[in-house]
Amino acid sequence: MEQKVINALRRINRAVALIVGIMLFACAGIVLLDIILRRLGSSLGGTDEISGYVMAIATSWGMAFTLLELGHVRIDLLRARAGAFVRSLFDVFSMVVLSAVIVMIAVKAWPVVERSLSNGSRANTPLETPLVWVQTPWFAGWVWFSVVSCVMTLVALSLTLKGRHGEVETAVGAFAEQDMLQ
Amino acid sequence: MIGSVAAGLLGLLTLSIPVGIVLFLLGFGVDTFFSSFPLTRGLGNMVWSASNSATLIAIPFFVLLGEILVRSGVATRTYAALDRWVSWLPGGLVHANIATATMFSATSGSSVATAATVATVAMPQAEKLGYDPRLFSGAIAAGGTLGIMIPPSINLIVYGFLTQSSIPQLFLAGLLPGLGLALAFMVITVLLCMLRPSLGGVRRTFPLAQMMRALVDLVPILLLFGLIVGSIYKGWATPTEAASVGVAGALLIAFFFGGVSFGMLGQSVLGTVKITSMIMLIVIGASFLNFTLASAGLGRELTDFMNGLGLTPLGTIMVVVVLYIVLGFFIETLSLMVVTIPIIVPLVVAQGYDPIWFGILMIVLIEMALITPPVGLNLYVVQGARKSGTLSEVMVGTIPYVVAMLVMVFALIAFPSIALFLPQALQ
Amino acid sequence: ETLSVVGSWSSLPLHQQYEAPFWSETLPAASDGKLTVELTTHNQMGLGLGDIYPLLGQGVYDVAMTVADYAVADAPELEGLDVPLLALTADEARAMVDAARPMVADIYRDRFNAQVLAIAPYPPQVVFCNHEIAGLDDLQGLKVRASGRMTAKLLEALGAEGVNVSFSEVPGALQNGVVDCAVTGAGSGYSAGWWEVSTHLMPLPLGGWDSVVTAMNLDKWNGLDAATRELIAAEVKTSFEDPAWASAQTALVDDISCLTGNGDCPAGESRSMVLVEASDADFAKAREILTTEVLPDWAERAGGDWAQRWNASVGQVVGVEIK
Ligand code: NA
Ligand code: NA
Repeated sequence: MEQKVINALRRINRAVALIVGIMLFACAGIVLLDIILRRLGSSLGGTDEISGYVMAIATSWGMAFTLLELGHVRIDLLRARAGAFVRSLFDVFSMVVLSAVIVMIAVKAWPVVERSLSNGSRANTPLETPLVWVQTPWFAGWVWFSVVSCVMTLVALSLTLKGRHGEVETAVGAFAEQDMLQ
Repeated sequence: MIGSVAAGLLGLLTLSIPVGIVLFLLGFGVDTFFSSFPLTRGLGNMVWSASNSATLIAIPFFVLLGEILVRSGVATRTYAALDRWVSWLPGGLVHANIATATMFSATSGSSVATAATVATVAMPQAEKLGYDPRLFSGAIAAGGTLGIMIPPSINLIVYGFLTQSSIPQLFLAGLLPGLGLALAFMVITVLLCMLRPSLGGVRRTFPLAQMMRALVDLVPILLLFGLIVGSIYKGWATPTEAASVGVAGALLIAFFFGGVSFGMLGQSVLGTVKITSMIMLIVIGASFLNFTLASAGLGRELTDFMNGLGLTPLGTIMVVVVLYIVLGFFIETLSLMVVTIPIIVPLVVAQGYDPIWFGILMIVLIEMALITPPVGLNLYVVQGARKSGTLSEVMVGTIPYVVAMLVMVFALIAFPSIALFLPQALQ
Repeated sequence: ETLSVVGSWSSLPLHQQYEAPFWSETLPAASDGKLTVELTTHNQMGLGLGDIYPLLGQGVYDVAMTVADYAVADAPELEGLDVPLLALTADEARAMVDAARPMVADIYRDRFNAQVLAIAPYPPQVVFCNHEIAGLDDLQGLKVRASGRMTAKLLEALGAEGVNVSFSEVPGALQNGVVDCAVTGAGSGYSAGWWEVSTHLMPLPLGGWDSVVTAMNLDKWNGLDAATRELIAAEVKTSFEDPAWASAQTALVDDISCLTGNGDCPAGESRSMVLVEASDADFAKAREILTTEVLPDWAERAGGDWAQRWNASVGQVVGVEIK
């Protein structure tokens, strides 16, 4: 059961990360195109504004993928010296704290979107981007991250209670498989 | 307040809570205990404005560039070529690590990305050839830090942005100190390995013909460096935009010299998203912590502290150096810069120092922070790429290079022209 | 009573010469120690420029001051406070600001839950070019770095192309021809060395006067007793706003002499940029564009009855009517 949930979340987040990566690639392409067009005496205009939005959205949606790939840096000094059970406790505790903070961020991100919605805010730039268009996907990314971390916390808790410490380690431990850390 | 925050940081970090999350927790703590205002109400706005940044998009671009070079095999061939040229020195392949890191620094704006790239290609060699694992991995962690000194550099972009100083000038200023540091790393490796030959593993010499042939494999990286830095100085691209030029260049190079496939691109993209999110959680947490600290009066505390000392200009610089070394143990580097620059740089500039020069001095100290425990991202990246051994081996291995960095700090203070010569000469 | 105050850019003269002394010394002294102030600045806090007033409204701090233009994303009607090219001298700019004050007060109350205390000038935003120009008309076809939506629209209407370059990159961009011209305060341009990389200076406020609004959280304001409110309002006017305006015109004249070498330069060495005066015909044309294109465009963005209110107040003072 737990492994099924973990595998499903991993698959979904890999797909999300691929989309995020394609978005970053496309953004690099747009910036490059703008550089070339400028040499030819023309310009797309507003690429730095677009880059900012891409960065915000890519960041919020990439977080859950990194969590599942054990990519968020943790200092492993005490934990590494503990036995399997205590290590699981470290991991569950760390997940509880992380989930609480991320839920808090998602909750506090909503007023930002709400404000743009009620004011009909548009960026103070020639593009006049309606901020709701870019803040909504950004907000959704943090909601997704908080959902994933809460589910993973429950999974880790359940695995710990069942004494399956090896699986806790691979699900929410401190280091990824070597080949992912490039 | 500063003491409580440092203690809280240490305590929470030893509990193995992710570094970025610890920074948020400390922000909540400062809000609760040191401020009478509801600062946490600003959390959403801080998260939005810290990540909605056209400057920071250079981070994923540089990571992507490194990923493409590694996964297309271009990085491995660069490493092998440098091995032909420097492994006759006492220390052997350790010098290849430093030289490769130096070369990749010229195409990458990020130290973490540089260390990760070099570690991936170099680590498989260490055990094969019987090197001391400490010195071998320490050289990668330390060499990787050059990524933010030799242009391009995300940290110099951030410094220029926060202090309103010219980024191309900062890039020029970083070139000589960066090469100087690389040289210092190699000198200190030679000295160590002459004293203790067991550290150095096999010294190897290659026939001249092989060495000459290997030069071809350096061409891709040199081309890429020329492309990135050239586009900045030709005025075609801003320093941030140049990162996208680098991505396109890396793809072209991979296409001609290595190979491009969908699988390899997919892996590159996943690696990029992973490292970017890891860095950004820390950057966003740090900017929230900075926001609460500033609201609670950190600026006044630091300013009063510095003014209360009533120091001479040189004394000020010395206190600042010590401050950064100490803070650098505990605080992630981009956060360290974001938190301290608005407070420290005006104080230093008011004492008559050049902001460009101070930017370079700060980068050396930031490089040091990247490899000093307990919070040193490069240590973790290198350890992550190893198949065996403990983190403390990497830490011990970086000590000689920390010494080299200290020497560079004092050299910069004694001879500011190490940094300022190029920007002034080319003005 | 302790006030938490967030100042504007800590590196600029308005903060160093007026904001910082007023909030950290003058006001506490005038209140006989009843008011104390904790002062920081938005750049030291790392605030996003668009977040400064929204967070003020939420009570994250008590008082904030920054360029009104940073807040127009949330309040497009606020763009009417600082219309480019309408005020050429500090006196005209002040008259314009005074006329706009009731509107600004309403906007801050409704949009940001804040009470406006003062409106002070940043220096007018003038034009530096590394390209020979003889007047406004010559901007046609040039690439110009400017900030703010209304300035961008005006440039577009004048036939120039707006380019986004951050302040610190402008010298390089001017030198390399990434931009031909750039708009900033004359003093900032002098101290940042823009005279090294540009040849012509047109001292027209093409970017407006960049008014800086000081405002207090409305709940905080209402919670103060009447005497304290009166004290703050009176002190902020006589010891902050008036002196800031009084020095604005002299500062502009001095900065222009510094850049062009026509007259004394108290700030340091004089430079020798070519001073470009816009002809009357030029100017009439620009105003024509402003009233027929840029301002009606704004009226539509702002919606409501803002155009009528503007016509009846600011429009009267500067002799312009949005049709
Ligand atoms: Na670099
Ligand atoms: Na450190």
